[in-house]
Amino acid sequence: MDHSHRRPLLSRRDLMRLGATGVAGFSLSGWLESLADDAAASPARRCSCILLWMPGGPSQMDTFDLKPGHANGGPFKEIETSVPGVRISEHLPRLARQMEHVAIVRSMTSREGDHSRATYLLRTGYLQQGPIRYPALGSLVAKELGSDDSELPNFVSIAPFRAFNQAAYGPGFLGPQYAPLVVGDATVVVQQPNQAGDFGLKVDDLAAASGVTTEQADARLELWKSLEQGFISRRTTAAAIGHRTAYERAVKMMRSEAVQAFQLNDEPAALRDAYGRNRFGQGCLMARRLVERGVPFVEVNLTGAAGNPALGWDTHQNNFDSVRRLSEVLDPAWATLIEDLKSHGLLDTTLIVWMGEFGRTPRINPNNGRDHFPQAWTTVLAGGGIRGGQSIGRTSADGMTVEDRPVSVPDLLATVCTAIGVDPRKQNMSEVGRPIRIVDKDAKVVSEVLA
Amino acid sequence: MLSAIAVCSVPMRSANALDSAVRAEAGVELDPAALAERIDQHLAARWKADKIEPAPAADDAEFLRRVYLDLAGKIPSVAEARAFLDDRDPQKRRKLVDHLLDRATFPAHFGRTLRDLMAPGATNNLQLQFLMPQFEAWLRLRLAADTPYDKLVGELLTFSSGAAPNVRANPFGGEPSPAVFYQFNEQRPENLAASTARIFLGVQVECAQCHNHPFARWKREEFWGFAAFFSAAGQQQNVFAPVADSSDRRGIQIPGTTTTVEPRLLDGSPPAWESGATKRATLARWLTAAENPLFARATANRLWWHFFGRGLVDPVDDMDEVNPPSHPEILDELARQLVYHQFDVKFLIRTITATQAYQLSSQTTHASQDDPQQFARMPLRSMTADQLIESLAQAAGLEPQPQNVRGAIVNPAGGRSQFMTRFADSGPSRTDYQATILQALTLMNGQLIADATSLTRSENLQAIVEAPFLDTPGRIETLFLATLTRRPSPDELATMQAHVDGADSADGRKQALADVFWALLNSAEFVLNH
Repeated sequence: MDHSHRRPLLSRRDLMRLGATGVAGFSLSGWLESLADDAAASPARRCSCILLWMPGGPSQMDTFDLKPGHANGGPFKEIETSVPGVRISEHLPRLARQMEHVAIVRSMTSREGDHSRATYLLRTGYLQQGPIRYPALGSLVAKELGSDDSELPNFVSIAPFRAFNQAAYGPGFLGPQYAPLVVGDATVVVQQPNQAGDFGLKVDDLAAASGVTTEQADARLELWKSLEQGFISRRTTAAAIGHRTAYERAVKMMRSEAVQAFQLNDEPAALRDAYGRNRFGQGCLMARRLVERGVPFVEVNLTGAAGNPALGWDTHQNNFDSVRRLSEVLDPAWATLIEDLKSHGLLDTTLIVWMGEFGRTPRINPNNGRDHFPQAWTTVLAGGGIRGGQSIGRTSADGMTVEDRPVSVPDLLATVCTAIGVDPRKQNMSEVGRPIRIVDKDAKVVSEVLA
Repeated sequence: MLSAIAVCSVPMRSANALDSAVRAEAGVELDPAALAERIDQHLAARWKADKIEPAPAADDAEFLRRVYLDLAGKIPSVAEARAFLDDRDPQKRRKLVDHLLDRATFPAHFGRTLRDLMAPGATNNLQLQFLMPQFEAWLRLRLAADTPYDKLVGELLTFSSGAAPNVRANPFGGEPSPAVFYQFNEQRPENLAASTARIFLGVQVECAQCHNHPFARWKREEFWGFAAFFSAAGQQQNVFAPVADSSDRRGIQIPGTTTTVEPRLLDGSPPAWESGATKRATLARWLTAAENPLFARATANRLWWHFFGRGLVDPVDDMDEVNPPSHPEILDELARQLVYHQFDVKFLIRTITATQAYQLSSQTTHASQDDPQQFARMPLRSMTADQLIESLAQAAGLEPQPQNVRGAIVNPAGGRSQFMTRFADSGPSRTDYQATILQALTLMNGQLIADATSLTRSENLQAIVEAPFLDTPGRIETLFLATLTRRPSPDELATMQAHVDGADSADGRKQALADVFWALLNSAEFVLNH
């Protein structure tokens, strides 16, 4: 894979200049400058992964694995895509035109039909049992592909809905340095544009509290530094030093150019429109801006569409109306993301993963809904590291079983890892002193998906 | 290694017949001071043999802050700190422990501690969090009534609910109840068995769920035999179904096989069925019996962990032959005395807090203290989210926000639950603290700190800044006491005073004091238990 076209956004000289003019605000002597130098000297960036996470479990029957003509099929029609023979829902027309970049895995199969357990499994690759706290995929990738001294965190989680299983969103035994930076907690429903037009997509507490001037903030940090040095000189342990490091990274980020990644106002209005003026669409745009600045793992959560409940994909009732509305949010955002990554030269090195914790029952329930269904469902990969324009596996005519090429959750995650250049067999030491592979040893990479 | 195996495996195998030799050799019931002395002797003997130079004794301020965090779950107020630091009574440390064990803050804090032990992470779980206050209340009531730990665990393990809790109709009005322990484990026999073994016996058997345990002795059949105690006839595999128990003695089918295994205790002994007793009652009687050395040892080990951030066996839930205790004789003594004292948790707390080991400084004075297994220096421990928010509220004089149980859906971004979420990502262990960037941002710029350092909203700051009887050094000293539970060093005082005196107006000086307060609240010394 060719990474050479990826230039760092700011050269070392740029950073120095910013520091000198005070734009980056490095007014503290000593450690801040030296860290900034290190960041500028960091090696060329590598692959990135954007996870489009669909909490609640999206209906495969009404998105990527339609069964027209069957009683289970529902009212949606199939449409042709840019790849002959691959057909998807009529409510994903723009994505259909990008199908040469997309691989659909129609043969996912697992056993977990409970939101909490399945969320944990899909996001960590392991069942939640025993004392081991498995890291989320984002934290694993952050550790493998991220840089310890980057200005931005190596794992950014946009609009997460963590209430099903908070542990599934955390760094587990890898420790807090691999925890995600959360942008806009999605448990708060903000679907209408707010005053700032950012749909709540901001990093909490990134700026000093209102009324605190820059001079005052600097003075506070000077006082803090003297206290911190006193404490660390008496207690030279990792905990004390770790505290200082987290603050240094936070201050560095607060005062860096890189936080411009969160300023969507810099983008042309037409592009923002194309992504969709909703939280998911704008979140996808932010993901591109973050990947552009070298963040190796970004997730964007699609929790609901306007007029939908917070957990839109959990369509026990009124499935078709909900899925149509969600598709209308998903389609322009995802298709624009692919186009936008391509025009920035980033598509070849950015893998996009679309998945939720399970699929939904082929049979339509009396409430015109579909229930949880882990036996046979769909995930989708797009962009870099994979061979687009294909579908993998097949479900039966009624959608009830996988008929060809079953893919387990660990298989999928091992494939994702391999596509972005992470060895899924690599081991990390867990908190119980047992080495744990990034993906379970029984996982088999779905090699025909890979580029 | 051989002796380690003997230490672990002998009690395990003879669980139903207390080793009478051990009891005879054990001697008598000891009081906390005597037992503490014995523990210190064991530690000191090892230090001497291994050429360890222990840290100096903690001064009063260090002890005061530590013991408040460990027993009350928050730092002391300025008035409490001054009273203790100025007290000349040589017995004041012991008296403080007694006082803290009598206060309502003890059951509140230990209730949360046990809640996090028995249902870790559930306070942030959408499906369970609204049941957690009931569980916390249940634990708090028992701790307030000094219920012996074996009785508390027995009650938990034999709980059943007559009817399904109607959570949809009345999610927050429920009576105190431990039902969430069953819901947390999804009412699955295998989950309940694994949790029970891990939490109360300190052993991990869940690997044997799918295959034979690679390290320890449990085979798959043994695991499922243990799980059989948690299966009840007609039980629904539904998280929120009534918690059922059963007085049949039926076995359980190992999933994916045709093998059915009978209920079987972890030590291989046949269950002592009594007529009419339920399965789980039979299990609980075995598990919490004085004759079951695993239970007393696991309990003593966890309590030790609470005060040192590290177990005598560590990790605490891996009491395995290949993971022997660092000080077997201390663990044995603690476990034995815990049994003699009828599982009185407060007895062990009085003992541990009375040891010189607990009262060592956390300051580094010699490299030999770096081995955590020697307990030659108090490690720095991270606070729980609860401890941190309570301590912030204490320092600033803010009303601690009541836990917003309904917040999950409506507004989890607000107040305590946001804070809890953000600080839930603590490291793999309490002694391996690493802050996240988000945590640093929250403490630097967040609303809670803005309130705490506001001259109009922070009651304590206002009082300290305005008090007519304090001069600037007095105000700075009070800010240190409110946050770090100690007085400033001369250097620190000079630095802070220079900042305050640098302001050119009375208002500016007040603002400068708020800056000092901000720096103190953001310091590692504030955010860590040391």
